[in-house]
Amino acid sequence: MRGKLAINRLRERPDLSAEVVTQFVTKYASPIIEGQRATFLFRGEADEVFVRHRVVGLPDPLPMKRLTGTDLWAATVDLPAGSRVEYQLEVRRGEHYERFNDPLNQRVAHSPMGSSSVCAGQGYQVPDWTQPDPEARSGELVERHIKSKALRRDQRYLLYTPARFNTVLRYPLLIVHDGPEYVQFAAMKTVLDNLIHRLDIAPMIVAFVPPGDRLREYPNHAPHARFLARELLPELEAAYPLVEPPAGRCLMGSSFGGIASVSTAYRYPGVFGSLLIQSASLVFTDIGQDHGGGPYFDPVVKFVNKYRAKPTRFTDRMYMSCGIYEPLITPNRSMVSVFREAGITVKYEENRDGHNWDNWRDRLQAGLSWLYPGPQRYVYE
Amino acid sequence: MRTIILGPQRFTVRATSALRSLETSGPVAVINAGWEEREDDVGELDAALDHRMRGLRLYYRLTDVLRKDPDFAVAVTAFRGRQDELSGLYRIRLAHAMSGVYAVQRQIPLHPARARHSAAYRAMGDAIAGVRAIDDWYLREAQRLYQEMEVEGGVTTSEVIAWHRHELRELHNDCVAWVFPGGNIRTLMSVLRLFAISVPPEVPVIAWSAGAMAMTERIALFHDFGPEGATETELFDRGLGRVRDVVVFPHARRRLKMDDPGRLGILATRFESADCVLLDDGVVLDVGADGLLPDVARRVGADGLVRTGEDL
Repeated sequence: MRGKLAINRLRERPDLSAEVVTQFVTKYASPIIEGQRATFLFRGEADEVFVRHRVVGLPDPLPMKRLTGTDLWAATVDLPAGSRVEYQLEVRRGEHYERFNDPLNQRVAHSPMGSSSVCAGQGYQVPDWTQPDPEARSGELVERHIKSKALRRDQRYLLYTPARFNTVLRYPLLIVHDGPEYVQFAAMKTVLDNLIHRLDIAPMIVAFVPPGDRLREYPNHAPHARFLARELLPELEAAYPLVEPPAGRCLMGSSFGGIASVSTAYRYPGVFGSLLIQSASLVFTDIGQDHGGGPYFDPVVKFVNKYRAKPTRFTDRMYMSCGIYEPLITPNRSMVSVFREAGITVKYEENRDGHNWDNWRDRLQAGLSWLYPGPQRYVYE
Repeated sequence: MRTIILGPQRFTVRATSALRSLETSGPVAVINAGWEEREDDVGELDAALDHRMRGLRLYYRLTDVLRKDPDFAVAVTAFRGRQDELSGLYRIRLAHAMSGVYAVQRQIPLHPARARHSAAYRAMGDAIAGVRAIDDWYLREAQRLYQEMEVEGGVTTSEVIAWHRHELRELHNDCVAWVFPGGNIRTLMSVLRLFAISVPPEVPVIAWSAGAMAMTERIALFHDFGPEGATETELFDRGLGRVRDVVVFPHARRRLKMDDPGRLGILATRFESADCVLLDDGVVLDVGADGLLPDVARRVGADGLVRTGEDL
């Protein structure tokens, strides 16, 4: 039998004074995680308060209820173990709506769109390999530029070389879409340093490439693909000791960056031996064109529909991940069998998270260690 | 020919007592190339060997050859590519063959009396024979690659390599024992081949972890708890063969699913007639002139249970 929730015990108290409420929120903060239940709290005067999120399956906005006679608002939801959810609170006072991070929650996640509060369910832990480790030697991250004819611009990118980089050795190459965002919001340099130090992944060279006009260039855009395959790749091959292609060439990206990876590899089959795609925007329609994603998704749907009609083996191996709380879970699940039937070896993982950078950060170990495994299997100290 | 095989030395040091048990005096040749960039960080190791250590610095020598002999460096790059390709193909074949073994294993009746006489039991034997055939194929192909590498890399004609080989002979000539610590087995086997290291039979050897693997006839790689999840145990190379009829598993408790007797039993059956021997912390196995392990060695049986010879 489940015990009574803290918020219900509070509700039943006869002495529900402001002081008691203050003690309650000081003790518990927000959200309160009790087993597989999460209770969100807000304290203040308002006409309505909502939890705003993008979790598929939960109502959005999620209305909070006021505890009678107090200024405390609460809403309780089921939250399976291991879940991680990003949210904000929305308050209505008269005609005025205001959205902000949960003031009773110190845990915040950052993204290019701003920050959000984080609700970590029972059992969720930030992986220790995402945090700086003083034992791990630091790789080098430097800014580079390349004149791109395909994109008609001087394209900036960040280049990572691992600690103890040695020109007599050979390294696999990873090209990352939304590269600087992966460094800033998914701690990817720290992750690379740590996982290489732990022998989980092979020391590798990584090009973190920022987008130009992201919504135009990422969904199946010929100049973008030409830039990666015919300009950036040859330049890196000439400058660095890389392992033999295509096994040592990997494209990576999340969301639209995922579709950019797939469409680039599709346009240049056999050039990239592997792909690492996270919450890829693999949206398609089975009939008609009504995909519901808006005009930016039109080229995505056109590309994915075309691929589904005639699947090809454009790469050898693909690591795919997707959060089960995001709308893209269904198309990602559907595409796994399509890629596999085309002969691509696919490792697919789902997790209880959403369409966000912390989710993508948390899957880096699984993806990178599968595609470019470290020497751990050879090391017996 | 005496070889003392030890468990990992990080937490339970047995190397000092093992060396003293040899009752020798004089320098001890040490090959810790598996430590790679840390090869020269030998303060603790030297102390554990009563400050008798003579490091052969084979990893340093390897990088020296790569720097000074460009033809060799090019051949090594090509070799690594072919070796990775072969390993990739081996893993594909192995994964499919092993999934067949597990699928058949699930069909074997649970009751022991019925199991022995079941068609599934015989089918599993045949499925494991298929895995052994893949293992044998891989080892043959790997040896072929090594031979090609020796020719293409000019290993027997390179002046740099010859110089190092000569210096090494001078360096270990008067050593009364050899020590092979753990580390990266791939690197260790590469340098043993490159510098044609062979330990005189009459000179005793102390070896642990990767070093112990190098002393056997067949080297198996294994890790059930790696970041990419459990992977099938795979053969990697032929070792020096000082210890016979054994496949060793250092750090077994940390790296093998010891609570899965079905999987362990398949492992033991796959490597018959060799014994699968577990090398955990504190293990000391004194192998005599016959090259066979003593009874105290912990072996995995075909039933997946771990026993010593004394239990039998």
